[in-house]
Amino acid sequence: MADVVKAGSNGVETVTLTIDGVEVTAPKGALLIRVAEQLGIEIPRFCDHPLLAPAGACRQCLVEVEGQRKPVASCTQTVADGMVVKTQLTSPVAKKAQAGIMELLLINHPLDCPMCDKGGECPLQNQAMSTGRTDTRFHDHKREYPKPVAISTQVLLDRERCVLCQRCTRFSDEIAGDRFIDLMDRSAAEQIGVYRDDAFSGDHPRSAIDEPGYEQETAEPGDEPFNSYFSGNTVQICPVGALTGTQYRFRARPFDLVSSPSVCEHCSAGCAQRTDHRRGKVMRRLAGDDPAVNEEWNCDKGRWGFRYATASDRITNPMVRREDGELHEASWSEALEMAAEGLRNARDGAYGVGVLTGGRLTVEDAYAYAKFARVALRTNDIDFRARPLSNEEADFLGSTVVGGTDVTYADVDAASAAVVVGLEPEEECPILFLRLRKAYRKGGFAVTAVAPFLSRGFTKLDAALVEAVPGGEADLLRDDPRVAETLRAPGALLIVGERLATVPGGLSAAAELAARTGAKLAWVPRRAGDRGAVDAGCLPNLLPGGRPVIEATARAELAGIWDLEAGIIPSRPGRSTDQMVADAAVGRLGALVVAGVDPADLADPRLAEQALDNVGFLVSLEVRRSAVSRRADVVFPVAPVVEKAGSFVDWEGRLRTFDRVLTTTAMTDARVLDAIAAQLGVALGTGDVNAVRRELGGLPATRADRIEPPRVSGIGAARPGDGEAVLATWHHLIDLSRLLEGDEYLAGTARVPVVRLGKVLAERLGVAEGDPVTVGTERGALTLPAAITELPDGVVWVPTNSPGATVRRTLGVTAGAVVKVSAGAPAGPILASGGSR
Amino acid sequence: MGIEEKLPSGVLLTTVERLVNWSRKSSTWGATFGLACCAIEMMAAGAPHYDLGRWGMEVFRASPRQADLMIVAGRVSQKMAPVLRQIYDQMSEPKWVLSMGVCASSGGMFNNYAIVQGVDHVVPVDMYLPGCPPRPEMLIDAILKLREKILYQPLGAGGRRMLEARAAAGKLPAVAPGAMPSSYRSDKAKRVEWEQAVKEGREEQLRIEKWMEAQRHLQGGGRW
Amino acid sequence: MGAVTDSVKGFGVTFSHLFRKVVTTDYPFEQPKTAPRYHGRHILNRHPDGLEKCIGCELCAWACPADAIYVQGGDNTDEQRFSPGERYASVYQINYARCIFCGLCIEACPTRSLTMSNEYELARDNRRDLIFTKEQLLAPLLPGMEHPPHPMRLGDSEKDYYVGALTNPGTSAGAERAPWSQQHTADGSGSAGELS
Repeated sequence: MADVVKAGSNGVETVTLTIDGVEVTAPKGALLIRVAEQLGIEIPRFCDHPLLAPAGACRQCLVEVEGQRKPVASCTQTVADGMVVKTQLTSPVAKKAQAGIMELLLINHPLDCPMCDKGGECPLQNQAMSTGRTDTRFHDHKREYPKPVAISTQVLLDRERCVLCQRCTRFSDEIAGDRFIDLMDRSAAEQIGVYRDDAFSGDHPRSAIDEPGYEQETAEPGDEPFNSYFSGNTVQICPVGALTGTQYRFRARPFDLVSSPSVCEHCSAGCAQRTDHRRGKVMRRLAGDDPAVNEEWNCDKGRWGFRYATASDRITNPMVRREDGELHEASWSEALEMAAEGLRNARDGAYGVGVLTGGRLTVEDAYAYAKFARVALRTNDIDFRARPLSNEEADFLGSTVVGGTDVTYADVDAASAAVVVGLEPEEECPILFLRLRKAYRKGGFAVTAVAPFLSRGFTKLDAALVEAVPGGEADLLRDDPRVAETLRAPGALLIVGERLATVPGGLSAAAELAARTGAKLAWVPRRAGDRGAVDAGCLPNLLPGGRPVIEATARAELAGIWDLEAGIIPSRPGRSTDQMVADAAVGRLGALVVAGVDPADLADPRLAEQALDNVGFLVSLEVRRSAVSRRADVVFPVAPVVEKAGSFVDWEGRLRTFDRVLTTTAMTDARVLDAIAAQLGVALGTGDVNAVRRELGGLPATRADRIEPPRVSGIGAARPGDGEAVLATWHHLIDLSRLLEGDEYLAGTARVPVVRLGKVLAERLGVAEGDPVTVGTERGALTLPAAITELPDGVVWVPTNSPGATVRRTLGVTAGAVVKVSAGAPAGPILASGGSR
Repeated sequence: MGIEEKLPSGVLLTTVERLVNWSRKSSTWGATFGLACCAIEMMAAGAPHYDLGRWGMEVFRASPRQADLMIVAGRVSQKMAPVLRQIYDQMSEPKWVLSMGVCASSGGMFNNYAIVQGVDHVVPVDMYLPGCPPRPEMLIDAILKLREKILYQPLGAGGRRMLEARAAAGKLPAVAPGAMPSSYRSDKAKRVEWEQAVKEGREEQLRIEKWMEAQRHLQGGGRW
Repeated sequence: MGAVTDSVKGFGVTFSHLFRKVVTTDYPFEQPKTAPRYHGRHILNRHPDGLEKCIGCELCAWACPADAIYVQGGDNTDEQRFSPGERYASVYQINYARCIFCGLCIEACPTRSLTMSNEYELARDNRRDLIFTKEQLLAPLLPGMEHPPHPMRLGDSEKDYYVGALTNPGTSAGAERAPWSQQHTADGSGSAGELS
């Protein structure tokens, strides 16, 4: 007798049944197909997917159950006590039934396996080979459709190949909440399709895609494209080649690909991935299977955003600025010597050296920067935050986040309620959004959004809205009874995004609220390297391992580990990104070492560029030519994620280690820093990723006291005057990010940038839906179509960095600022040129 | 030789060069290096049916000193590589290497740790002969191509530069020495056709055209 | 028997060979006929209108035991059409330094695009020249054929190319439209003449 579950364990009710003559005890309510699977009996299936609700659509999993008149679908049948089941292995009836279903499925399936992308990894192909007939008895014309239909710019549909298993529609409906595709028509003509306007006489029934700002240019006029952020998963789970990705179409064959496990570098979700490559080139990426993190899903950005690493502006050799003022390719030894000399002069000069690391580094690289700054440059002027920030945030990170917040994906699954502040999960951490939605679908879970409006993502979570004018979140967190009440429930979560840093007092109030209500607090940054950089000590007030700079014990611990004389690590906290930028702009910074930072991401891009121009000496470690490397005195090429080993720390604090996928000569940041440090006479010991890992693993927990949580009081939201409004803004998932350049198919599914404004404001301005609205400051203005949304009066929303909506560059402000709003395009010269960078 | 190093390159040596090259190519004695199945075909090529003696090559020398051309016939294992190199080193100049069969040329289907992935990792190769194994005609074709190359090989230390200079000056045949299939080179009409095709960049198409013309079963519209 | 008779007898054998036909072949002056199905250099065939038969499916590359074939698929568009259907081979290379002429690629080819000729004079003095590209492998354009890219001429869909293709000559090599084949197509089999 085999036990799929230990009888009576954990109070699970069990039943005992017989499958193929083997008696088995299984938990009550389990599906027959899973119990058989755990016994090692594989029943063929197409529609069944462990993470989707049972459908019984394909009928391929028929088995014989004693006492039943006809074979039953094992993917929908739950086990029962005393059941006697015979699968295809022991029952001729089941075997015949499955063969019959296979024959019917193949009747209309075209014989185009040679040109189908799924060929070679196709469940239907495999099962047709193992259980199908060798010749067909069907001699009529097969069903034919025009093919392929582009249901979005990145997903193509071949309806002839479809076996109507509904995995894609069920995924879109259940998991992502984007019902863009569905079964259309009836009987033999039944097919998967996108909604068409004319099918509903121009008036389709769902509200989600009606929402302004989500409509797209369509493949055919009238079609609603499949513009879900998660559409790539349907391509992956399609058991035939009916859904294929445009980017990978006809690019390679599965038997020709080498698959390497990897971790997504785009956001802080930490998705496991599978990178398929051939001949040193990445061909595609698929969601990896990690039940604790991303289950089996990922977002389209992670799946299709990888072309940046092979862009033509990739830096391959070091470059130095020679006497003629131009950058020239140089040898490594010359570049290293020059970098070391410049950094040494600046270090020993009056203003010191600053280090900007950006949020794209692996933990190993971030640690190398932190150590390099302290040991080789003898400064605490290091900051990973390449975005609007505050000193309050640094204290919050040092007091509350570093060393691990105790919220995990599993906690989200089990939570009873969550309050989300300063975070738009679908846009900024899509896998967290999927988990929130999973919890919501399971029931007994309520989301409260502290935001200016309920975005589409929050609508899909059926979230309650605590309406917040940007800047006023701190007051709401402190005073609003609804928020506190929600958080008092056992198992409640307070999830704050990195954007809360721009609200004075916001993070203080969040930490205080969590302590007061007993809710668990999670900080969710936007970039993959942010969380790791906090732990690695890429902050002006934090040393590696969460050691506060101001604590003598902490410094002494590190001096011991790093074998330094006392006093080399400065005792005063360093300058933050903003301070370094401000100082450099007026020439009060001797040198800057900059890793993957785009000045356009900083709070004031114009000032940042001025700073890069005016800084005494600029060293850039970059994958591709950028605004920084163009201004640098010495440029070092470094490896993109796919060409190096390392680890990210996701928002949970979970270490996501990955190995090198492609073997190239590109070096990690840590190795380059090691070489520069050697020129400076310092042995950094970060030349090898394993050495860094050993060193990081060997860091003992600190005995020093933690930083005190910040106690900054809020100043409330700004009060806009006449013709003004408070700006709300956040990033779209697919925007003008440097990491998405070159992925034109992906860009086609980006959400359309709009200005969102409330009904009252719209009426006052006299604009209707879709009319141009101009949002401006003294610096510039941007004009976008209006989308009338339920917003608090006096608030407008624009995407932060989308084509035509580069808020920071054009307006020079960020969320919470007061901006001028007017109808129509601005008179005179248009200051903001949409999308140009 | 010796004399060519001492004399200025150019006028005087052209005829001497032709004479020397002619005598060199006319009797290239082979150093046997039969390593596998290809060696059987190589033996067949030496036997009366194909008769390498027609080109003064009937003597395969086991003693490297007396050999000019090493025919590496078969896959070279890592263990055989140093032996092969030693034999090559023992051969006296001038010497040539013909890599016979795909295993010797690139490792062939044995893409594994035991086999040297191409004998050119060990010795310089003058002619690569595909096939698994190549039939004796293919070996003869390769030898004839090599002989043509030898004929146009400039004497002296700066041979390669001189060859490039001659190519630039248009003093070499339109078809690079050693590029034309032997059956075309030996037939005047076909040779002209091939040279014309090379100018148009369609010599491979010409080859298929000629082959199709010669195939009776293709002419019969599907019937043999 | 004396020693003299023996040696006369022995020399007699040698002497008699003087009057026998010489067994030595006269290659390269006379090319011997190979067996009709001798595995020689590959050909990438064309449809009767000049479109490529290859659909870039990579099955030949998959079947190849020596890993000698490299194919990369591409997307046909209406403006740039190289083969009927959606897919064509944007890159097609056979590395003759690896190819063992086993013919498994020919068996794997689903469109009978890849066939073999009997050509074998392939020796080259460098390895790069032994990598044959698509331009070298493609069959020549016969009269009536048009250099791709061009739209489908034999019908509206790829079906018009494949249905009935079996009646074409066995080793096609683009010979369906060869001028010399037309004279011999007495029974009208094959696609010869369909276009004219």
